Amino acid sequence: MSSYYDVDAILTDAQKVPCAFELTVPGLGFLEGNMSGDMKQGSKVELPLWLGEMLALSQSLNTSSLVTLDPPSALAPRVLNALKADPRTVDLRALAPHFYNLGARILELFEEEEMIDVLSDTFKARAAVIADQAHNPRGALGEGVEFMRGLDENERQLFRASHDSAKSVRAWMTDLKNK
Amino acid sequence: MALPLPPGLTPPEIAFLCEMELVTIIPRQRLEALELLGGPLKPLVPPQRASVPLWHALLLKRQRRANIVPPPWLSPEPLTAILDHETKYGDTFSPPPRLPPAPSSNTLPFAPPFLPSSTADAAADALPYHWLELGEMLLEAAADDFEDSDSVRKLLRGLREVRMAKLRQGVEVLDAAGGFEMTGVGGMELGEARAFITGVIDGLRKIAASREQQKRDRDREERENGYSGTADYDDDEMEMQ
Repeated sequence: MSSYYDVDAILTDAQKVPCAFELTVPGLGFLEGNMSGDMKQGSKVELPLWLGEMLALSQSLNTSSLVTLDPPSALAPRVLNALKADPRTVDLRALAPHFYNLGARILELFEEEEMIDVLSDTFKARAAVIADQAHNPRGALGEGVEFMRGLDENERQLFRASHDSAKSVRAWMTDLKNK
Repeated sequence: MALPLPPGLTPPEIAFLCEMELVTIIPRQRLEALELLGGPLKPLVPPQRASVPLWHALLLKRQRRANIVPPPWLSPEPLTAILDHETKYGDTFSPPPRLPPAPSSNTLPFAPPFLPSSTADAAADALPYHWLELGEMLLEAAADDFEDSDSVRKLLRGLREVRMAKLRQGVEVLDAAGGFEMTGVGGMELGEARAFITGVIDGLRKIAASREQQKRDRDREERENGYSGTADYDDDEMEMQ
């Protein structure tokens, strides 16, 4: 689906997720800030998604996986409840710059029917506001600034696309007048 | 990545397509018949009305060789009626012009732009596909041929605002597999809303991708358990993902 060189996909995979080690790993303590020690069994660290996913899915010889993944704090139940209450007031960018991409990746790993619904409804509700802001000929100023600052990367692209198309129609109309 | 243009048509391209629409003119000078690639143009004889493509009409108008007769829907009363319809029914667009009755079985049916939806004898109660572009271009080039160009311009602006707001609100009913009714939406409106609507659908599909994947897996399992005839086909499909 996404290309190997897709910068957004790379940045999504670089976001941290909480992982709990199931085994004691010698010499891996530097991940915790413990420079020369071992990674103790049961210790929790934040690892990039790509690393955590690989460690969680790889099966070692004794069949238990190396780490267990937890959903990241950006998709915690607290956040989902806030999104259910009012999608427009949540600052997604502060939670995760690639919020929806992260959500999609997490949903590949966990089965959470409810999260799909919450994320879809959030995206739809916010898209309507984004469209209104993008078609505002005076630019996104005034009360919209706070909302615009909280857009995640997907939503920014959406804003740019709809803003550009509105702008090109306006440019065509002014061109007509100058002919 | 070859072209830095977004998918779909740019506004100048849509306007170019619109220039194929036939409009009615009253010529002021004689003009011989022209043989053009797009078909022959009949000779223009001054007092008689003639239907010519919009580009030709605009050219003649600019050279003061003809007057343009605005289509009947492009006048204050029909536009007010359509605007009322738009504001009264919040979730549908005003219907497009009715198609002519289907011709007999051995001829092909006509479709726009070969239907005269903008000539002087077009229907007055519906907006054709190129309403916005055609209206803007005529108001710009031939404002003196309108009876009341200011109110027409104002009504066009109002219609555009109402309908764009509807298009934007329409995404709230979308889901990854759904759609919403766009009958009657014009060319320029489509060009303007395309980037936004496809962006929303793509985003929703990305979020719901895991659900689709699960569904596909379940379907495949059921099919493999039920009958194995389609298993090969399904495997091919999976590899392409």
